Amino acid sequence: MFKPRPKQAEVLAYRRGYMGVAAVPGSGKTATLSYLAAQLLAETELAEGQEILIVTLVNSAATNFARQVSEYVKGDGLLPGYGYRVRTLHGLANDIVRGMPSAAGLDEQFTVVDERESNAILGDAVEAWARRYPEAPDAYLAPEYVEKGRYRTQKWAEILTETARNFIKQAKDNLLTPLDVGSMIEAYPGDLLLAEICADIYRDYDRALDYRGAVDFQDLIRLALKLLRDEPAYLASLRRKWVAILEDEAQDSSRLQEDILRALAGEGGNWVRVGDPNQAIYETFTTADPKYLREFIASDEVDGRELPNSGRSTRSIQKLANHLIDWSLAHPHQTIRERAPLSKPHILPTPRGDPQPNPADDPDAVVLFAEAYSATKEALMVTESCRRWLAANPEGTAAILVARNSRGSEIVKFLRQSGVPYVENLNSTSSTRAVVGALSRVLGYLADPKSAGKLAEVYRVWRRDERDEPLAVAEIKAVADTLRRIGKVEDLVAPRLDDWLEDMLAEEDDAQQYGDLRDFRQRVGAWLRAAEMPIDQLILTIAGDIFRDVGEIATAHMVALYLARLAQTHPLMRPPEFAAELFDIAGNRRRFTGLGDDEGQFDPDAHKGKVTVTTLHKAKGLEWDRVYLTSVNNYDFPSAEANDSFIGEKWFIRDDLNLSAEALAQLAALQTGSAYQEGAASLHARIDYAAERLRLLYVGITRARKALTITWNTGRGAATEATPLIALRAFWENEREKARAREPQP
Amino acid sequence: MTGWHTLADQASGPLTAAQWKLVSAPLQGKIWLEGVAGGGKTSVGAARVLHLLGRGVPAESILIFVPQRSLAQPYITALRGWTAHRGGQVSVQTIGSLSLQMVETFWFLVAGDAGFKHPQDLPNFLSLELAQYFMTRAIEPLVDQRDYFNSVRVDRPRLYSQIVDNMNKAAIVGFPISEIGARLKSALASGVEQAHIFDDAQTCAVAFRKYCLAHNLLDFSLQLEVFRDYVWAAGLARAYLRGRFKHLIVDGAEEDNPASHFFVNELLQSCESALIIYDRDAGFRRFLGADPDSARSLRDNCDLEATLDETFVMEEAVAALGAGLGAQLGLPVKAERDADPAPALITEAHRYHPAMVDWVARQVDILVHERDVSPNDIVIVAPFMSDALRFGLADGLAQRGIPLRSHRPSRALRDEPAARTLLTLARLAHPHWNMPPTNFDIVFALMAAIKDLDLVRAKLLTEMLYQDCRLLPFAKVRSTAMQERVTFDLGERYDRLAAWIDRYIDGDRVDAIDIFFRRLYDALLARAGFGFHDDVDAGNTAQNLVDSARGFRWSLDFMSRYDEQIDLSQDYVKMVDRGVIANFYLRDWIADAEEGLLIAPAYTFLLNNRAVDYQFWLNIGSDGWSRRLFQPLTHPYVLSRGWPPGALWTEEDERNLSRETLGRLLLALTRRCRKAIYLGYSELSESGFEQRGLLLEAIQSLLRRYARDGQNV
Repeated sequence: MFKPRPKQAEVLAYRRGYMGVAAVPGSGKTATLSYLAAQLLAETELAEGQEILIVTLVNSAATNFARQVSEYVKGDGLLPGYGYRVRTLHGLANDIVRGMPSAAGLDEQFTVVDERESNAILGDAVEAWARRYPEAPDAYLAPEYVEKGRYRTQKWAEILTETARNFIKQAKDNLLTPLDVGSMIEAYPGDLLLAEICADIYRDYDRALDYRGAVDFQDLIRLALKLLRDEPAYLASLRRKWVAILEDEAQDSSRLQEDILRALAGEGGNWVRVGDPNQAIYETFTTADPKYLREFIASDEVDGRELPNSGRSTRSIQKLANHLIDWSLAHPHQTIRERAPLSKPHILPTPRGDPQPNPADDPDAVVLFAEAYSATKEALMVTESCRRWLAANPEGTAAILVARNSRGSEIVKFLRQSGVPYVENLNSTSSTRAVVGALSRVLGYLADPKSAGKLAEVYRVWRRDERDEPLAVAEIKAVADTLRRIGKVEDLVAPRLDDWLEDMLAEEDDAQQYGDLRDFRQRVGAWLRAAEMPIDQLILTIAGDIFRDVGEIATAHMVALYLARLAQTHPLMRPPEFAAELFDIAGNRRRFTGLGDDEGQFDPDAHKGKVTVTTLHKAKGLEWDRVYLTSVNNYDFPSAEANDSFIGEKWFIRDDLNLSAEALAQLAALQTGSAYQEGAASLHARIDYAAERLRLLYVGITRARKALTITWNTGRGAATEATPLIALRAFWENEREKARAREPQP
Repeated sequence: MTGWHTLADQASGPLTAAQWKLVSAPLQGKIWLEGVAGGGKTSVGAARVLHLLGRGVPAESILIFVPQRSLAQPYITALRGWTAHRGGQVSVQTIGSLSLQMVETFWFLVAGDAGFKHPQDLPNFLSLELAQYFMTRAIEPLVDQRDYFNSVRVDRPRLYSQIVDNMNKAAIVGFPISEIGARLKSALASGVEQAHIFDDAQTCAVAFRKYCLAHNLLDFSLQLEVFRDYVWAAGLARAYLRGRFKHLIVDGAEEDNPASHFFVNELLQSCESALIIYDRDAGFRRFLGADPDSARSLRDNCDLEATLDETFVMEEAVAALGAGLGAQLGLPVKAERDADPAPALITEAHRYHPAMVDWVARQVDILVHERDVSPNDIVIVAPFMSDALRFGLADGLAQRGIPLRSHRPSRALRDEPAARTLLTLARLAHPHWNMPPTNFDIVFALMAAIKDLDLVRAKLLTEMLYQDCRLLPFAKVRSTAMQERVTFDLGERYDRLAAWIDRYIDGDRVDAIDIFFRRLYDALLARAGFGFHDDVDAGNTAQNLVDSARGFRWSLDFMSRYDEQIDLSQDYVKMVDRGVIANFYLRDWIADAEEGLLIAPAYTFLLNNRAVDYQFWLNIGSDGWSRRLFQPLTHPYVLSRGWPPGALWTEEDERNLSRETLGRLLLALTRRCRKAIYLGYSELSESGFEQRGLLLEAIQSLLRRYARDGQNV
């Protein structure tokens, strides 16, 4: 049972009105919020249809939240979910819009295109635009690239896509239609070339969505807010329905999310926002800003609270994190300092007698490497360290944190080569990819049914439940090898004159294998016959035959729906194309996205004795005994200094312009009617990015319970140690020095 | 008891005294019969027809009038036992079929007055799919050029179907189509952005109407208007129909529309006898224009009012559950608090949808195999029956050896493998269309067309012999070994198919597409050794495709005298691809003697009008249980007869409607259930969304109420 500590009890004393809570990492904010939800449910006499609305950031967190609340509120013989609803912002917007689609100009059957589809539509729009205006790159390519064909076409299209995506997103966040943007451009006194380009692409992109009767995620949120503003009666009914709103991870709320929740709560309504402004890591080119939460907590109408105690990490790790806050408040770069990327409160240990005491302190377990390793050397060093530590701590948990997925994949290769047990939490989890991989193999075979090699793969998939049994492994391999050598696959799977299986029996007389292959043949035969079914039905059929685990079946179901959506928008896709799509997801080359992506919350404690490779973004909310924080160089963690490079500034674009930032600045100029100065936005973007990366570093440090190792690499040769890391190391060496001085001399 | 009484009993089961009194009422007189589902009203209707016939009433003077043809099935079944023909046949009509016959009959007398540009030419009646097709031709250029509907996100086929729907609503309610935009705007437009789409919808409706008048096309709305405003008003049809139909049986009056009620009312003035049957709790087809209030006005012209309220179906617990849910949703029913609904309600919560589907299959298995319940006495209903849900259930039940039949009222013809095969072969046979099939389409077409051809060999054949959009002869396979892999038997059948298509391509005649389908089917696919041989489903699908294509051709042939020529066949295939044609091929579902457990959308089961022992309600969290279909360009209530002009459609109206709709649906379902209801619930829907519909809320509240009242639910 949840036993609140004093600061948590203050939050749990909430009954009505607005409350804002600033929490530190590991302070139990989600548990506190879940418990508050359960407590409100127990105490509130809900009328039919009334609920407490809980809003959180990502699907996995929503799932986790729902489970936690339902644990607290079991009883009464009711079906789960009575009296509360947990939603991400997209899920909530979807609920709101589906409640009144026609007023939002949508048909009942409107579809939501996922990230992949939206990118594909945008890609088409950009390509068409670039063909119409082949001279356009002249305005932005750096002189040495103007004449290079690849830069005029491929690279230009890439950066234009990225720029247009950010522009469209921002325009939608600002509730501007393509028509609005067009009129503003006409009315603006000067020329805003990027805005004009992006407005053209926005118009084409929007038309393409229109034609499909579809909306994208931004539309969903925009339309939800529009409904709340335009339909007062509907808003009133939603206010009646959602008697209280509890918002988790509020530091990453976009302005629109805040507007939507403020509208739903209403003046004098019930709204609790909990978040850690220091962990705001989704702000680049969005309208999110941790300052909104800070301002909310500080405002007069709000009961402001803190959850400063955390039992997660050792004191040493907490000290390091706290020092990063202090250092950022005195940041050497004035503009970053003024942006206050990190703010107090400091992380405090849990009080004495707390059910979650801090782990015993071990200052030696905090190591900040100064050496300039190459990327390979860094990976090798971390791999070797992991290997040794896991051997000594088979019950421990460890993670390697990376800033980018691609770096994660590189490190995975080293772990695999060294035989270090690992689990991935990169684009998608290993378990999701295992399911997708199995399906892609079967689908791959159906796309090429005469291939004996692919049939052998299907056999492995068919016996995947036995892959951990040493005896079976050898046998499966032997049979798969035999199948791989079959000359005429049809003689096994669809025999007419010759029957490979009967011949084999005659030769080898292995009754068990015969029976096994007969079953296999029957299954494959059914799939061959089913190959023409709509893709979702085909996937469900296969899944029903090869998966037993409920989670796997659920994932397969998501895959079925995902492919069905693809089929709807790409009517010419057939088994080979579907198989290729799944193959890309299984190989981590494509993200498995969408509202239906219900990947479960990653649980580090379920992977004891293995090291998790994860991006920093995906590590949020998670903790491990030992953490390796890698690549802390001035490429992944820049500080707006002269020698820093910025991902948003492409080498082939003139004058270090960050085109996305410039396009957004032009949009802002259009809206406010103010003057636009080229280059200013690019400089400003460096500050924003540096601030966000500082918070990301803070997130990384605070994932560690007992041990933390920070390393950096020289990237492609030119990267240097990140400025904050230099500061942290100096601080830590000083601390160690002081500690040594305090130690009794022998 | 008379002999006719026995015959009536045989037709519809033994009748109660109350029922028999109505059946044997005098041959002069008009009866208004109302009641709840399961009260035996239709049995009275069917027995009354036989009674009339038995008393010597000429069959051709009897009109059975229903909102849709499937509802006449009990009458058709009853009449099968009637062999003593005298004076032709009993007429079974809907407003659609009747108005079409009348307009066709009196066409040359009214076409000029009705505004048709070519009154001397024959009319061309449009099915729904053809109406959509011509709408595409008539207004698509307008929509594109003027950027109409730019603030709505609806795909084109749905957009056009909503404009068609608006026009139909105007016709059945009886207001001019020029009022559509104003009506919608005054009730729904919340901002400038929304207002202009209704203007656009109005402009398009008028443009389409002009197009129809210029080309002698009659969509349903125009057909009905011409019938009512010209044929009937001129007294021509009136005299004819009044002279012919002296005995009227109207069943399901509450499911019919005001245009039908107007017509019935007119006939009531002149007929000798009438029986009008009205279900007090129904009115499920409101979104299609059903108007129970307008139906009720027919009562004023009847001489006798009767009620059959005693249901023959429910056990006490089910009755208590129905009443409890109905009362929970605000219906004026008495919640039977004395009875415990617990034994009637069986449920288990699941997180994932597939787990719920599996639970349902297991429960059905227990009922059928352990408790000897006949699969015919079980129904599985859901608000919508998606492909995946249907497939999951069918698979789970098939594994347990439970026979089932499923019905979905609309199914895209292009989703049927047999139709796809015909379309692929048509593309292959018409290279000048420049629409070559993909390799995999050929693989699938060969598999479906050639009996026993498996995917492996179909793939081999395609890879070796499908070149430059043609199927080469089997002899072109490089080696005998490869030919042996395919087998000569299959190779020979492949050759017959390839040769047939080759002959067609090289021949000097190009068939119309429906004739091409027909020939391909007759000459090859239906023959022994080919895929459609002895396959009833494939045959039906082929027939439907032929019908659809022929309707298309006739309409366009007809148009050719007014309009430019196009390649009909190619346009047909393109329209199928776009989802304009053969998308929702509506077929009247006649309840047949099929055996097995029924899986169907809830409303389809209700319109089937039969009771079962056990019902499974799936996806109880879904909004679809209570919500009307939202469509941005149309609104069934605002365009209904009872909607006060100028009134604003509010959130409260929407809420009340949802509650009332759900309440009526649940009452209707429980009244068709004898023993128990299983609730299929998963926290996440098929699409992975958490579900919180009104049905779930109502059930949760009921459970909580009973839990608090100490009832052990």
